[in-house]
Amino acid sequence: MQAELWKIIKEEIAIWRVGALPGIAVIALVIITRLSGYMQSLEWLAFDNFLRIRPAEAIDEHVVIIGINEEDIRRVGTYPIPDREIAALLRKLNSLAPTVIGLDIIRDLPVEPGHPELVSAFQDIKNLVAIEKVLPEKIAPPPTLPPEQVCFSDQIIDADGKLRRSLLATPTEQGYKFSLSVCLAKTYLAKQGYTLENGIRDPQALRFGNLELPRFFPNSGGYVRTDAGGVQMLLNFRSGQKRFRILSLNDIKNGKYQAQWIRDRIVIIGVTAPSVKDFITTSAVTSIKPAQGRVYGAEVQADASSAIVSAVLDSRSLLNSWAECWEYVWIISWGVLGIAFARLTKSPWRNLVAVVIASTILIAVSYLLLLYWGLWVPLVPAILVLNLNGIAMTALYQYDQALRSRIEARQALIERTFETIHNGPLQTLAKALKTIREQDLSSEELLPELEKELEKLNYELRGIYEFLQREPLTQDRSLYLGNGLLLNLQDPIHTVLYQVYDHTLQREFACFSTLRVKIVTFDPIDDHHLSIEQKRGLCRFLEEALCNVGKHATGVTRLEISCTQNEGWYTLKIIDDGLGSIAAKEGRGTQQFRNLARQLRGKFTRSPLSPRGTLCELSWPVAKFGFW
Amino acid sequence: MKQALTRQALLKILVIDDHESVLGGTIEVLRKKYVDAQFLTAVTAQEALDQVAKMQPDLVVMDLSLPESPGKMARPDTGVKLLRNLMKNHINLNIVVQSAHVRTLVRIRPDIDIHKGGFTVADKSLSSQEMLTRVDWALQGLTHTKDIKGVHAGLEVKPEWLRVLTLAFEEGLTDKAIAERMCVGERMVRHYWSKLQDALDVYPEEGKNMRIQTEMRAREEGLID
Repeated sequence: MQAELWKIIKEEIAIWRVGALPGIAVIALVIITRLSGYMQSLEWLAFDNFLRIRPAEAIDEHVVIIGINEEDIRRVGTYPIPDREIAALLRKLNSLAPTVIGLDIIRDLPVEPGHPELVSAFQDIKNLVAIEKVLPEKIAPPPTLPPEQVCFSDQIIDADGKLRRSLLATPTEQGYKFSLSVCLAKTYLAKQGYTLENGIRDPQALRFGNLELPRFFPNSGGYVRTDAGGVQMLLNFRSGQKRFRILSLNDIKNGKYQAQWIRDRIVIIGVTAPSVKDFITTSAVTSIKPAQGRVYGAEVQADASSAIVSAVLDSRSLLNSWAECWEYVWIISWGVLGIAFARLTKSPWRNLVAVVIASTILIAVSYLLLLYWGLWVPLVPAILVLNLNGIAMTALYQYDQALRSRIEARQALIERTFETIHNGPLQTLAKALKTIREQDLSSEELLPELEKELEKLNYELRGIYEFLQREPLTQDRSLYLGNGLLLNLQDPIHTVLYQVYDHTLQREFACFSTLRVKIVTFDPIDDHHLSIEQKRGLCRFLEEALCNVGKHATGVTRLEISCTQNEGWYTLKIIDDGLGSIAAKEGRGTQQFRNLARQLRGKFTRSPLSPRGTLCELSWPVAKFGFW
Repeated sequence: MKQALTRQALLKILVIDDHESVLGGTIEVLRKKYVDAQFLTAVTAQEALDQVAKMQPDLVVMDLSLPESPGKMARPDTGVKLLRNLMKNHINLNIVVQSAHVRTLVRIRPDIDIHKGGFTVADKSLSSQEMLTRVDWALQGLTHTKDIKGVHAGLEVKPEWLRVLTLAFEEGLTDKAIAERMCVGERMVRHYWSKLQDALDVYPEEGKNMRIQTEMRAREEGLID
């Protein structure tokens, strides 16, 4: 039993290997492609699309944007907006008591008129943060502001020109600096009791309270060998078209706002005029202004600040990815699943359905992981290995199976051909040899006798060839008995066995001539459980047993042949009363019978009887559950 | 006498052959002997099955080379299949196989051996008189399969038949007693006799006692001491 199980396992491994080797090659190829960066843009595409199709979130009340738009510029009548206007705006906003004001407008040089007013506003308003640019071309901050009120506004753009990351902090020649978003969030969160600290798990990461901002690494998510300099984070844009409240300069001037929109909030002042071109490309949000796939710089700052603040305060998820090794475990798992599908599904259609269902599940799982946990899992490589292995391997398995069944059919043909030769011409040959060896005939008598035998042999051998020619070999349902006699193995087995008996007894075996009585019973038995091959085996068994009687049972007068069903066993029994001798050596025939008995889970017996005779018996159990 | 006449009048004979002319010829011959019999005909295996099921004939005279249904090729295989079917579902039906392919019947020999009704084989080359004799035997429930026996040496018998022989001639039992001893019906014992007589080539002959003939033949063959 155990040996059988082991055999099945070994066979299974052998079959798996056929698909597994190319399957593993496919997985390796996909992984190499991914590592070499060729899959990066596809993975970005999937990532951006997933982010974009998320359900819309509510407007973020933590942040409000004061966007100076085209109309504001028209009303002011000049651009850049003069310092006086900015100073007035700052003082006005300050009077509304926001937690922190971020001025996302370059003011490295005075823009008259009103520069002194701006300078004095800068001095008065302590919760103000202004920007500089630090990488790689620098733009200075407003010169009168102390350094702790200056942050950088640099953004890092991916190779395809799109924004997906947010630079949080970076070392510069003037020391370690934070981005505007971090500065705004820091002040805002400090008021809520969260201070900015270094990470615990990852000391380089930024941490507010218990929340560490997941740091971006060169190979995070779909990225490959990206410059992860400074401290970066994947930017979790808010989803939806209305993400922040945006007020114009004019709205503020004319009081078209509610005070609570601004009190205790982060206020970001920026330019949201298409002519100024302070915008950035992204596919992660559905944006209409300034153009499709573009958002204003002020919005990006708002998004970055909002992501940090709402992660700390509202437990909104931040974007994250698995450690690299887990990503590859994930990819390989899907690849193995693909191989398994190819192996386990028999029909190509079913396989296709299975692969489509698995792919759908994979996509859904990837999306849900991103949506609820902010987890970016490798979708594109997983889909690729699943489909390539699932579909391509199926073709391979089908081919392999066809090949195997061809080999099996060939083997079966060889076996059958030999059996036919063994039970036919070889018997004739043995008889002829015996005639020669016994030497009880003179040469004159021997020669014609031999000629007769050889002619018969010739005829029989040709008969076999004709039989093989005629048969469509793969679905052979017949038994060849020599003399051109073909039996249909689909007929009830008792009638087929009778014909085997009838035919074999007509053959010219010396011992048959003394027969006086044959007691024959072929009961109709239930043969549903017998395969064509097993039926063939039973027929060959009877044929061979009768041939043995004909050859060895000298002086036989009584032959009993019965095929009966009794007490849960089928028995095919041949008893003669001749002076038979049982050969010590197991011949080919006997071996054949032992195999057959094993196949039928039955027993084979051949034993001498007292005072004379031989019993040849094959018995096998009635199949109770129809397993075989 | 009256009862015998009624039975004669009720005799239903189904003749199966795919050639209308042969059909007519056979019926003509039969009608001479069975004047009052009702003759039914069938030209395909399908029709034959329907007729047997519907009309319940006393005797079937059939060819083996038959088409399955109208328009199909006539093949001995179809006849063999039909015969197998008839013997399975109408175990007491009397059957005469009239064919040029009688050797084909070897294929269902075990089924013929357990068929309870009369079963005779008439090669198509037989004379009308001989044919009528076979028909008569079949109607009597006898078996005549001499023509399909193997040409091999020795008698071919079934163990039950041998037992009947032993009980009758070594212990001198009556059919009734034999039936009791073998735990079968008397009718079954008669069936065994019929088969045994066929195996021993003992057939009805004017002025001869079949039982005694059987005993003589059995001793001759060494079946009983």
